[in-house]
Amino acid sequence: MLEQVNLAELVQDHRVHRKIYVTPEIFELEIERIFERNWVYLGHESEVAEPGDYKTVRIGTQPAILSRDEDGRVHVVMNRCMHRGATICQQERGNSNYLRCWYHGWTYNSRGELIGVPYAGGFGSKFDRSKFALIKPAKVAIYRGLVFTSLSADVEELPDYLGNAKYYLDLFMDLSPEGEIAARAGTHKYGYDGNWKFQMENGVDGYHANFVHQSFFEVQGKRLGRKLMKLFNESTAMESKDLGHGHSILDTAPKRRVEQPVNNLFRGMSSQAATDAYLDSLQRRFGKQRTSEILGASNVNLAIFPNLLIIGVQLRQVIPIAFNRTEVFATPTTLRGVPEEINVARLRAHESFYGPAGGGAPDDVEMFNRCTAGLAVKGAEWLELSRGLEREVITPDGIIAAHLTDEVPQRALYRRWREVICGAAATEPRPAKLALIASGS
Amino acid sequence: MAGLQRSHAEDLLYAEARLLDEGRYADWLNSLTDDITYWIPMGGEGGDPARAISIVYDNGARLRDRVARLGTGLAHAQSPPSKTRRLIANVQIEETTDAAAKVASAFILYELRRGRERVFAGRYEHQMRFEAGRWKIAAKKAILVNNDEVIDNLTFIV
Repeated sequence: MLEQVNLAELVQDHRVHRKIYVTPEIFELEIERIFERNWVYLGHESEVAEPGDYKTVRIGTQPAILSRDEDGRVHVVMNRCMHRGATICQQERGNSNYLRCWYHGWTYNSRGELIGVPYAGGFGSKFDRSKFALIKPAKVAIYRGLVFTSLSADVEELPDYLGNAKYYLDLFMDLSPEGEIAARAGTHKYGYDGNWKFQMENGVDGYHANFVHQSFFEVQGKRLGRKLMKLFNESTAMESKDLGHGHSILDTAPKRRVEQPVNNLFRGMSSQAATDAYLDSLQRRFGKQRTSEILGASNVNLAIFPNLLIIGVQLRQVIPIAFNRTEVFATPTTLRGVPEEINVARLRAHESFYGPAGGGAPDDVEMFNRCTAGLAVKGAEWLELSRGLEREVITPDGIIAAHLTDEVPQRALYRRWREVICGAAATEPRPAKLALIASGS
Repeated sequence: MAGLQRSHAEDLLYAEARLLDEGRYADWLNSLTDDITYWIPMGGEGGDPARAISIVYDNGARLRDRVARLGTGLAHAQSPPSKTRRLIANVQIEETTDAAAKVASAFILYELRRGRERVFAGRYEHQMRFEAGRWKIAAKKAILVNNDEVIDNLTFIV
């Protein structure tokens, strides 16, 4: 029995339907229309710093390889031998001058060109190696070290796609007095039995912190003699912002001057001398005013649609596995050109809250699992996302802003979702219908 | 006395396993030195913690905060809490003097939470120190076999 579902009706301005989290067919559609037709984040350039370095990644659910060739250029090829289909790279990371499929020994270079076929004569005189280069995404582009790719050529240029988010990405990178970060300190990997959108919603959710993370704030607050929950209550000056294109941020900076790095908020771990040296180098490079602006962004929660979150010091990649399974790779960054102590403090601050044993992230994940269980209830069909709708303001840049605890970022995510899934003009319900197999049939 | 004997080390490790299995965290903290390091590395043996993150790299203050947070009743990923049983074997004294010892062991840790069973395996490295008339744990490193894999929730003490 088939049920016709109008997808645009499932995602409204103030609420979304439970079916978008629990329906395998909708997940397949998301992979096709969101992850295979748009820019997606793959990794940071520094993860493949040396010629021959490679990292295996996923574009949506498809395996791919991010690598650097002998000329220093970054490449992305699909991890699928053009002979009989086996994946070529098995390791998560490695270094190799060539990519060899061990099924029948076909060998490619980093650019994906087929450079070796064992006993090639057997394929006949018309066999043309050049037709068996590894499949490549249509686009690869790098913004300040962040590598994005698109399987479709029909996308905006990356800087245009990032749009208003570029300002915040620049602040994050400029925390380094050399303007460069590195993502080589390892990756926390965890997962949950629930939909990928739960993580994208939560990474920029200013409303949940005082409830999901109360235990962390209480214990840390006691140690530091501060009331950390005040940061996230109704009187905070911080804002949530819809940056366009589905990107959004919890903006901690706009209404205060920041004189000290705050990403060590929960652990004042670096010495005064190291902190002073760091501040001094920032001010020499950027001047006092810009330095204050940069430091204001140093405890950021930024979402880049569809699969990148920048939270605290980390680049967090959200990896959709199935409608009810998601993996999350959180890679903390270090800053080039700062005292080692500053970077050690960044790593320890990251560990204390994030990763599978952190004091914060696992409690978020617990909520995703609880949502997944709760959404089995039929009859209560909607998830409410209307908080702050009546107090949104639109800036001259077209940024929609409201209070930190408002559901602006979630609405930003779903506005973009609807555009991509249902077509560009999907502000009204459109006939983008999907045949669903009704449950129980 | 010729340092820490294996049978005594086994007693210490079994006692620790039982405290953790029974959730007796205050007693467990009392069995540690104040300057304890509790380390769960990633990537096999783990790299230099100054340059690489770990799953856990706690000093004494951080570890006491970790335990305090678990005790608030609001550490949601441990609500309901994991039930665990640890089996410890292959105990070897790697170094010992009368004041300090390094003990290696193998463990299997069974976990049950909300109907889901998981098994973790790995190797412990304990640094023991003789302090105020008894052996205390001065450092504990838990090298999980799967420490390079996706791990959904590791919020109980390993």
